[in-house]
Amino acid sequence: MSPRPALSLSVDRHTPVLVQGITGRAGQRHACMMRDAGTAIVAGVSARAASGPVDGIPVFADCASAVAATGAVASVLLVGAMQVLPAVTEALVAGIRLLVTPTEGVPVHDAVEIRRRVDAEGATWIGASTPGMAIPGEAKLGFLPDVSLAPGPVAMASKSGTLSYEAGFRLVQAGLGQSAWIGVGGDLVKGTRFADLAPWLARHGRTEAVLLVGEIGGNEEEEFAQAITASRLDKPVVALIAGRTAPDGVSMGHAGALTWGSFGTWEAKQAALAAAGVQVCATIDEAVHALARALGKTPA
Amino acid sequence: MFLFEHDAKALLEPFGVRIPAGCWVDAAGLVDGVLPAGPLIVKAQVAGGGRGKAGGVRRAADAARAMDIARALQASPLGGLVVAGCRVEQALDGAREVYLSITLDASNAQVQVLASDQGGVDIECANAAALVREPAPLDATSIAEAVRRAAGRLSPGNREAVMAAGECLAAAFVALDAQLIEINPLFVLPGTDDAAPRWVAADAKLITDDNALYRQPAMSALVERAADRYPEAARKWQHGCDYVVVDPAGEIALLTTGAGLSMMLIDELRAQDLRPYNFLDVRTGGLRGDPQRLVDVLGWMREGTQVRVLLVNIFAGITHLGEFSRLLLQALDAVPALRVPVVARLAGPGFDEAVAVLGARGVKVETDLGHAIASVRMELARASAAPGGAT
Repeated sequence: MSPRPALSLSVDRHTPVLVQGITGRAGQRHACMMRDAGTAIVAGVSARAASGPVDGIPVFADCASAVAATGAVASVLLVGAMQVLPAVTEALVAGIRLLVTPTEGVPVHDAVEIRRRVDAEGATWIGASTPGMAIPGEAKLGFLPDVSLAPGPVAMASKSGTLSYEAGFRLVQAGLGQSAWIGVGGDLVKGTRFADLAPWLARHGRTEAVLLVGEIGGNEEEEFAQAITASRLDKPVVALIAGRTAPDGVSMGHAGALTWGSFGTWEAKQAALAAAGVQVCATIDEAVHALARALGKTPA
Repeated sequence: MFLFEHDAKALLEPFGVRIPAGCWVDAAGLVDGVLPAGPLIVKAQVAGGGRGKAGGVRRAADAARAMDIARALQASPLGGLVVAGCRVEQALDGAREVYLSITLDASNAQVQVLASDQGGVDIECANAAALVREPAPLDATSIAEAVRRAAGRLSPGNREAVMAAGECLAAAFVALDAQLIEINPLFVLPGTDDAAPRWVAADAKLITDDNALYRQPAMSALVERAADRYPEAARKWQHGCDYVVVDPAGEIALLTTGAGLSMMLIDELRAQDLRPYNFLDVRTGGLRGDPQRLVDVLGWMREGTQVRVLLVNIFAGITHLGEFSRLLLQALDAVPALRVPVVARLAGPGFDEAVAVLGARGVKVETDLGHAIASVRMELARASAAPGGAT
């Protein structure tokens, strides 16, 4: 395995962000919601650029002119599943360094090609099939619900969108909140895997503890367990793994959530994580309590 | 999606993959295709491994005997797996059994070719040193090259056959949007005088990408034609949502969105000795003002004979809950036969409106999932106390 380029996840309220597909239904709505959450949405890209700005956000016909005019370095791509590969390619050529692709249903062979292009450019790709990422209080790239977001000490890394909403919501209710929230997404082949985050989490100053929200299928949780040691991530890590009682051989919603014999099972993941010192919790509430204890706080 | 061996072979054959003559036999003994002449092998079609060890592969001297075995194999599950049908195919004798697979290495976003001189029923237990691995980028030329490199490390008698098979499988892997093609065993037949290697894919495992169905006409046609064989893929293809019955005797129907939260909810309910009926990722973000998907889902839930309560759990990121609540009421009206109490737990944008919409129809909305589960418990107790309730 060749080493992957270092991640560039340290976005803040000054990071200029563009939205590809801004004139679509989701694009219009979420460009505004991201801006309301503090994100510096500086431009949109759409083939329908001639129809004018979206709620005051200038719209360009292509990424190159948007980047030239605004200096955008990150992009949220709200385009259809079949448009993700060409849209990512366009963004990379224009010099975008951080790409967030929430779209569900990207064919896995397309994802392999996107990975090849992103790695060749040394860029960072979050997705696909993700609600995005956020540094609460600074910027949100995607559509993580605001009720689940608050600045705090816990970094969340999640495959599942909705399960992370629920876990984030209870963290906020318990008075904890997040230092960073990265939805790596539920697809089999993706831009950023749990293990890719470990070195960044180890260095990230605001992060005091980590909540890993995994699920059955694949081997990302096992890889993350190895990466904890390799990257000297010595902060407390608590994990939730969905799908403990899921049937074998049936893909449970996420393309990546498929167990096969002993591969990808809850038990295999639990064992690997526990051996790396991670506390694997059976319920969401148990995970929140474990984090509160690890941080020396009593849940509100 | 996992394809049954019979369908996998049919999809691979156009790429030059050689397969023994065979046909599909269903539980009623109906034959799809042409029954080959004996001796025959009868193979249970199941969505999982360990079939041989569990007695799902039997030999038959003639067609009549094969039909008896095929019916017997379909009478009960095999190693806990439903037998969807049987493939009856020509038996081949005296072949060497080789292993060859092409798989997607998700960690490194590339392809991995695996080959071994020692194929057979249990490759996972085989000597790891005997397994040859070669990585390749995802294109047919590179994969075929990797197969040639792998073949070069096998015993000389198997090389040509593996290379020839690999050429066909590499093309199929790319063209079919495959995640895994495994030929175990690949039969290499000895005693040939001509130069052409003799090989046959005795078994075939194929896993393809549901997200690519739109550009795979042969596969989408199969999913439509054999929807009963592939209920999950067919539902996703036709209705845009994921639905799996996890416990046919389950008491709690789940109307949920998001794969991870739905799986976790099932785990947590079971840990509390409650019995969820189904897994569902309804994808509320994709309803677009039309209740039809909800109507379909509620209709499927009627098949759960023990279902006593409907638990709705939506943590919305994109969805407006007011709009969702109106669609839910329309769908409940459209499926009057599903006469069970509704417990709703909602969070996200439009919550207040949802409380008003559902409240007007007597559905109480919980904000806390724990409270919602307590309400479910109460409804179950009420249902079992009522006349005609669960026994």
